[in-house]
Amino acid sequence: MILWNRILVGLDESEPSLNALRYLAGVLGGSNTSKVRLLAVYLPPDPDSHPDPGQRADLAAERRLALEARLAQAYHMLVEARLARENLSTDLVEAGGRTVGQVIMDYQAEGGYGTVVVGRRRLSKAEEFLFGSVSSTVVHTATDCCVWVVA
Amino acid sequence: MPSSGMDLKRQAEELLGNKLDRVRLVHDTTQFMELERGDVLGLDGRRYLITGVAYEGRFGLDEEPKHWVKRALDFSDGSQKLIKLVFFEEFDLPIGLLKVRCYRSPAKESRILELVRGRPQFMQGITHLDPSGNQVRVLDRVPGQSLDKRLDALRLDHRAWFDGLLRPMLERFLGSLEAIAFLHGQGERHGDIRRDHIFVHNEDQRWVWIDFDYNFDFKQSPFGLDLFGLGNVLCYVVGRGIPTLRQIKQERPQTLDLLDTGDLSPVIPNRVFNLKKLYPYLPEELNRVLMHFAASAPIYYERVEEMIEDLRPAIAKLPQPVREEAP
Repeated sequence: MILWNRILVGLDESEPSLNALRYLAGVLGGSNTSKVRLLAVYLPPDPDSHPDPGQRADLAAERRLALEARLAQAYHMLVEARLARENLSTDLVEAGGRTVGQVIMDYQAEGGYGTVVVGRRRLSKAEEFLFGSVSSTVVHTATDCCVWVVA
Repeated sequence: MPSSGMDLKRQAEELLGNKLDRVRLVHDTTQFMELERGDVLGLDGRRYLITGVAYEGRFGLDEEPKHWVKRALDFSDGSQKLIKLVFFEEFDLPIGLLKVRCYRSPAKESRILELVRGRPQFMQGITHLDPSGNQVRVLDRVPGQSLDKRLDALRLDHRAWFDGLLRPMLERFLGSLEAIAFLHGQGERHGDIRRDHIFVHNEDQRWVWIDFDYNFDFKQSPFGLDLFGLGNVLCYVVGRGIPTLRQIKQERPQTLDLLDTGDLSPVIPNRVFNLKKLYPYLPEELNRVLMHFAASAPIYYERVEEMIEDLRPAIAKLPQPVREEAP
């Protein structure tokens, strides 16, 4: 069942993702009516592009640590905004061949999240064309939830 | 049965039909720069006589030797092969104003060769592991020419191209798109889609994809760079070359005023994708597919299947050639 006050926040190491969180803290600060799940998606380094196992392991560890640090930072920001700790949780999931946007929306559907919050990078048309955009995927694939895109 | 040095030299000369100064049997390919004409690669019980080095076909780099790619003859049947040796390369590929991190991956190419075995829309080959574990790819030579060379050789104006050849050409391109959709469906990317990476087979004129060893970092859109390449090939085929602003300014300045930035590629903004403004007889349906690659597109293709779905009915709107003389 989809509940509007079950909120899923997609986070990465970027500044726009922190902006989304600041916005959320401003809107929900002091409230105890919402449950917030902070989600980061880990993309393992591609063995084709990083064939050396040692280098690959280092890069993987570096990426994981950066995401864990971001999740911890986000959690504390929301605690400081007076959201109850029992309403906050974090999760770090592996993409498993999916894109970040797909993972977020799969997670939303499985967990019955009624609201999805993501930041929006200032991508040029060219960047969006070649590399794609998480917020764009989220907006275009959402069917049964509300999406907040914070630019 | 191992052959003596003299036997090997005689066999190699017979195969080549020419004298060789010296012949060496080599198993380890790690030092690929040292391998040269007259060396015989012995891999997994098979032998290949190196006859020379391959040359770069990329625009602007013509005739630069690619030392990690050797031309060779197969001892078993005398067939021509291209042998790709392990060469790791990592670089920023400039695409318009952007840079994309690219990698050369022998493992990726080996995997794709396995995946596409027996599929006529892809180059064929096998992989041998040498004693140092290098993935040596032995590729069948595709008899034919690259698409750009084949089409550039035609002396036709655009209207004649449109009336006589565009439909059968795009029908072949559909086959190429389906082949890439198959790859993507297996979680693989071509990695370097360009018009000179399609070969037109001499036998039946089918289009064959070559060169699968590039890989690139992607973020949200795993097939974005492949789709970008497919858009460029489509524009090249429909327009008989991708028109640029500079070209239009020189050749038909009166049409320049019709164009705006939304008609151009968002990635390389001197390339015109709104071809209907240049060739008004193009069907709207076909131009709509092209416009998915233009800066004004509200949404871009994320999957090749979406492109195929739009292109198929668009092709049906094109004139059926009276007599097909497909190049």
